[in-house]
Amino acid sequence: MKVVAVFINLIYFLLLAPFLEGVMRKLTAWIQSRKGPPLYQPYLDLLKLLGKENLNSGGNWAYSLAPVLSFSSMLAAIALIPLTGQANILAHSSDLMTLIYFLTLSGFCLLVGALASGNPFAAVGASREMMTTVMLEPVLAMLLILGTVRISSFSLTAAVSGVAVSRGVSYFLMLVVYLLALQAFVARQPFDIAEAEVEILEGPYMEYSGPNYALLRYTLNLKRMFYAWLLISSFLSFILPANFFLSLLLQTVLIIVVFVLISLIGATHPRFRIDQALKYYALLLILALIAVGCAVKGW
Amino acid sequence: MSRKDELLNLLKDELKGNFLAASSLEENRLFIDIKKEALVETANQLMRAGARYQMGVGYEARKNGRGLAMVHTFAFDADSLLVAIRALTTEDEPEFDSLTPFIPGAGWSEREYIDLLGLHFKNHPHPKRLVLSDDWPEGIYPLRQEVPYDLMPPAAEEVAFRLDEAPPGSSIIPFGPFHACLHEPAHFAVYVDGEEIKGCEYRGFMVHRGIEKLAATELTYNEIPFVAERICGICGSVHSVNYAQAVEAASGLKIPRRAEFIRTIMLEIERLHSHLMWLGVAGHLIGFDTVFMQAWRIREKIMWLAESLTGNRKTYGMVIIGGVRRDIDLTKAELIKKTLAEVEKDVQALEKAIIKDKSIHRRTKGVGYLSREKAKEWNLVGPVARARGLDIDARRDHPYAAYDEVKFEVVVADSGDVWGTLVVRIKEIYEAIRIIHQCLEKLASRLQGSPLAIEIEDPIPAGQQGLSVVEAPRGEAVHYVLTGDDNRPERWRVRAPTYPNLQAVPDMLLNNKLADFPIIVGSIDPCISCTDRVAVIDRRSASGRILSRQELEKLSREMRSKT
Repeated sequence: MKVVAVFINLIYFLLLAPFLEGVMRKLTAWIQSRKGPPLYQPYLDLLKLLGKENLNSGGNWAYSLAPVLSFSSMLAAIALIPLTGQANILAHSSDLMTLIYFLTLSGFCLLVGALASGNPFAAVGASREMMTTVMLEPVLAMLLILGTVRISSFSLTAAVSGVAVSRGVSYFLMLVVYLLALQAFVARQPFDIAEAEVEILEGPYMEYSGPNYALLRYTLNLKRMFYAWLLISSFLSFILPANFFLSLLLQTVLIIVVFVLISLIGATHPRFRIDQALKYYALLLILALIAVGCAVKGW
Repeated sequence: MSRKDELLNLLKDELKGNFLAASSLEENRLFIDIKKEALVETANQLMRAGARYQMGVGYEARKNGRGLAMVHTFAFDADSLLVAIRALTTEDEPEFDSLTPFIPGAGWSEREYIDLLGLHFKNHPHPKRLVLSDDWPEGIYPLRQEVPYDLMPPAAEEVAFRLDEAPPGSSIIPFGPFHACLHEPAHFAVYVDGEEIKGCEYRGFMVHRGIEKLAATELTYNEIPFVAERICGICGSVHSVNYAQAVEAASGLKIPRRAEFIRTIMLEIERLHSHLMWLGVAGHLIGFDTVFMQAWRIREKIMWLAESLTGNRKTYGMVIIGGVRRDIDLTKAELIKKTLAEVEKDVQALEKAIIKDKSIHRRTKGVGYLSREKAKEWNLVGPVARARGLDIDARRDHPYAAYDEVKFEVVVADSGDVWGTLVVRIKEIYEAIRIIHQCLEKLASRLQGSPLAIEIEDPIPAGQQGLSVVEAPRGEAVHYVLTGDDNRPERWRVRAPTYPNLQAVPDMLLNNKLADFPIIVGSIDPCISCTDRVAVIDRRSASGRILSRQELEKLSREMRSKT
């Protein structure tokens, strides 16, 4: 069962992630008085991209290899997670640092690809992405450390489920921080700064085409779903039923609700500038530190 | 003594023998001929008297054996007066003194005729190629009369525009020739240090269609309004009305009042659609697509209205010299009123959502700031100038069509930034609606059934000058017409509002963040094809073929290693 759980993780995420993008697009369209594409459109987009040509405009191996590495790191991160609060076989050989490591690696590969493309817009996008990562990864780490502090174990299952063990000051403070950071984690308006279509033409993604681009889009979809999942399974773990299927079903519904929230915020905000965003992230980081401090105190 | 006579006397006294002649067909226009030695002095006198520089017009007056001419036009906004000074030089010595050292806004007007007429401007600080493509051969000046309008010199390979030196320590981000935030071809080489803009060089004029040359060689008076309308896909009516007014002024034609009201209505309908379009684009440029979609949804009603009135969503084809072609009767008036009521309600809802949105404030307030003094120095026009506290509006200052009979407020803001232009444009939407309502009332109450256009019996006399301004959605558009033989003007010059505004963009960009580039450029609502209209002939590539994948990859890498 523990081996199967790894595959369930992967299949669940791979199947659902594009659908969530469809939800986002449809809702955004409604807010904008448009009809919007059908919910299954992202699947078609991915399929179509897979059938197109890879242009190697960077002309080096780092550029062509980056999307595969980024995608597989993301899959590795997803394979580790306790989907319904149950540890899988990989839990023996991993902890929360492994998860953070894989997530960061995935983003790092995208940066390498962007810089290797040699495009000045991709370079600007990469530098923005880098600044964002430096500021946001610690916020994610703080969340997991909060759970770790509660249960006194470095295992990922403990870190995730530990967040909601007791719901005191630190729990609510961290929940606020996470909700405020959510839009930045999933890189939607007002924090789609690294892509910023009208400014830097999708930044890091600019030079990519065909299957490589499909992989990068898929990675982004998975990343977004991961952060929605983490919100549910850490902060709301106490309402998830013990039954595996019921738990999965409820999680799916809640993840969709999170995406509704993301779409609403995204459609009602203009983009921030990177200097404005960095100030905002700094505030989040300080709040997250305070939350962990409270947890250590047992509040 | 009127302001016009005052100026005339002043110039006569100051210039003495250099003053040649003055003519004034209309109350509010003054055309002065001077010797070229006195060009700088005259311009100086006018600027000291409080003029605003508009544009330069160069042309070859060879038909009468007179050489090359340069006209500079000035506006006295407080006195509803437009002044044009003209100087001539011989073909052997094609040189004028440059006005640019003390009127920076004249820079492009003069560079244009370095390219197109082979003129030289003494003391011009930056006589770089402006209009012609980089591979255009030296020594062929398209606006000279011996050059045919369809001349197509062979394309040269390996010729590229040379950018000026970038400031030390900065790198270049190329916005253009094609970029998602520019809706037409234009190239801004932006010098950045990190994310901060340290300077910018503009290379435009990539969409020349040679319209002015075409008008001087191929078209007739009454064909030009339809071509003029196609100068711009957004404010076409502005150009056709403006051209018609310039010809009417030059030939002393008085058109029916009813036609003037209909022209006013169409101009304001155009302003409505243009401002709503801008609002949407501005939203898009700061990453707020909901504003984009909602503004364009509202705009669509205006487009449908225009279609029911004229048969077209855009490019109305309403204007001919001497009047208009289609009537706005009572049924159509009802339709306009109904649509405007809906639009007004929708705009109010949208305005409410925008005006108080803190995140929009964060992206627009203090962004693209330019002081009032700078704005004056660059001769900015339209909402871009009004957002900087300059209270100018051609509709009020130089009334044309039926604007003398309608009441409206000229909206001015003093924040000097992108936010100011946004506020001005939104408020102007309501003013445009007010103006249309007043026009409809007057049409219904006293102008029913009067003719739409006058019959023109006599040929239009040659050698007359006409100058007309129209307040386009983007600002004042100026047309200059010199009537000619063969039923066509000898020279017709168009100066779109983007022409002066664009020249000030590098100043607006300075020390802003790279992320603000799109909205700063967008804030002048640039209309590139209006600005680029002059020159000649598109360059056809030597042979059309499709690059293979490997070639494309190779090419893009080579381009990269060059930069």
